[in-house]
Amino acid sequence: MSVDSASGTHSLGHSVARPNAAASIVKSLLTSVKYGLLGTLMPIAFVAIWWAAVEAGFFPRSVLPSPFAVGAALFDWAFGDPARGGYSGALLAAIGASGQRVLMGYGIAMCLGVGIGVPTGASKTLGALIDPFIHLLRPIPVTAWVPLSLVFFGFGFKGAVFLVALGSFFPIVVNTIEGVRGANRSLIKVGRMLGARGLKLLWFFILPASLPSIFVGLRLGMGISWVLIIVAEMMSVKSGIGYTLLDAYSFGRFDVVIAAMITLGVMGFLSDRIILAIEAVTLRWHRETSIHAES
Amino acid sequence: MQNPDVIVSCEGLDRTFVTKDAGENRVLQDINLQIRKGEFVVLIGPSGCGKSTLLNIIAGFDRPSSGVAAIAGERIEGPGPDKAMVFQDYALLPWLNARENVEIGLRMKGVVAAERTKQALHVLGLVGLTEAAERPVYRLSGGMQQRVSIARALALKPKVLLMDEPFGALDAFQRAIMHKELVRIWRATGATIVFVTHSLEEAVFLGERVVAMTPKAVGLTGELIIDMPRPRDPLSPEFAALKRKLYDMLTAHLPADVDLFAD
Repeated sequence: MSVDSASGTHSLGHSVARPNAAASIVKSLLTSVKYGLLGTLMPIAFVAIWWAAVEAGFFPRSVLPSPFAVGAALFDWAFGDPARGGYSGALLAAIGASGQRVLMGYGIAMCLGVGIGVPTGASKTLGALIDPFIHLLRPIPVTAWVPLSLVFFGFGFKGAVFLVALGSFFPIVVNTIEGVRGANRSLIKVGRMLGARGLKLLWFFILPASLPSIFVGLRLGMGISWVLIIVAEMMSVKSGIGYTLLDAYSFGRFDVVIAAMITLGVMGFLSDRIILAIEAVTLRWHRETSIHAES
Repeated sequence: MQNPDVIVSCEGLDRTFVTKDAGENRVLQDINLQIRKGEFVVLIGPSGCGKSTLLNIIAGFDRPSSGVAAIAGERIEGPGPDKAMVFQDYALLPWLNARENVEIGLRMKGVVAAERTKQALHVLGLVGLTEAAERPVYRLSGGMQQRVSIARALALKPKVLLMDEPFGALDAFQRAIMHKELVRIWRATGATIVFVTHSLEEAVFLGERVVAMTPKAVGLTGELIIDMPRPRDPLSPEFAALKRKLYDMLTAHLPADVDLFAD
């Protein structure tokens, strides 16, 4: 800001504001680059220490291969010639097998979780009927269902899908129930005042308001899906990333074990990002209202 | 009914809340109140006097323990668009823009899209929000959000417009603007308004008739007709005298242990 002494007025004009605006854009860009670099610091340090530890001979290479050996194994797993046998070029098939089971199981959990959660949260009677049962089943670790799953669904696709569906069902259904219940409490007055009842009240008022909570359940459920697909594939299925991981372990191929771990991390990260992206589009209002509440 | 002009009628209303820790709490006792079509009635009193309870009964959110509350001769059985409420926290739907928020009540009534957009834009114009019609409500200021809430209520063409301390969350300047706006809207629409407040200033500025209530009292404490011409100047001696009168009316009937106007 400058004071024009001749006219005695304060000028906040464009000539002053424009370079400031450009400077502030550059500044904010630099800040985000700075924080972006900070985020890469820990992973780089981690890999460096890992590498140094292997080079210094702290661990036998057969147990902890160097990061470069893992990189090479990952590359061969992804792009190697399948004709060479072993793990070469088998990554895509493994991702496909695991991904298919996760999608199927997660899809079932999503339909059942939201489908059961909404009426259970919306109706007191259904809540009293269903809620205790869900909370009774929920503490049983899903891995404890493996023997029964083997008996009922056998080794293979169905058993894996069952475990994934069961595991991700609980966070989805619980968060849906809670979300609908909370939305019901806060919106029933205004909804009824505006003339909405029954399904209209549910569709136009309660469901949109409970979506943030439903999305929390969907994200948690997706995380659990990737845990359970590995459990299922280690126990009862002869393909997929989890199977590869266990198989590589039994052959002492720790480079492939770690490559499989990295693949799982990336898959989990990507699927979470996909849900976040859908959430960002559907729930713009929610993101912005929470920002308002904080400011 | 004797007088066809009467829109809201409360006869012998009692409301007793039973709580575990405090036992029985008689909030309303033998309340009789008649509100005529087009009237601007303000309910005033300190916290705990039952003014919000009375408003909630008229809105259909609460039921009297005994007595009858009726709108246009029909007993109030539950909430609905004929008695539209403007809430203090606006209660807008953040996933809809301003126009859609105003339209939602019409949508519930089954009004077709083109017609409800026309009506919504009309009431948004009435509250001075034509420009903001397509903006998301969470980007609007508190005063503008409350205008959307008023427009949403007006769009329902209610028999009575109920307002529960609607400007309590606004700063003093925005509140002063909204007071003037509300008087303008009331005159433009001829709406019947029941307005709850604990501010003497708000009551005298807005009301045609101010109904005073005090805690633990039997019946209403008193009534003041404000015949001061509009626009009313809150800094005039006339205005101050009316505030004084209202204050005396409220304090004369106050139990000793009640802190007047504690929020």
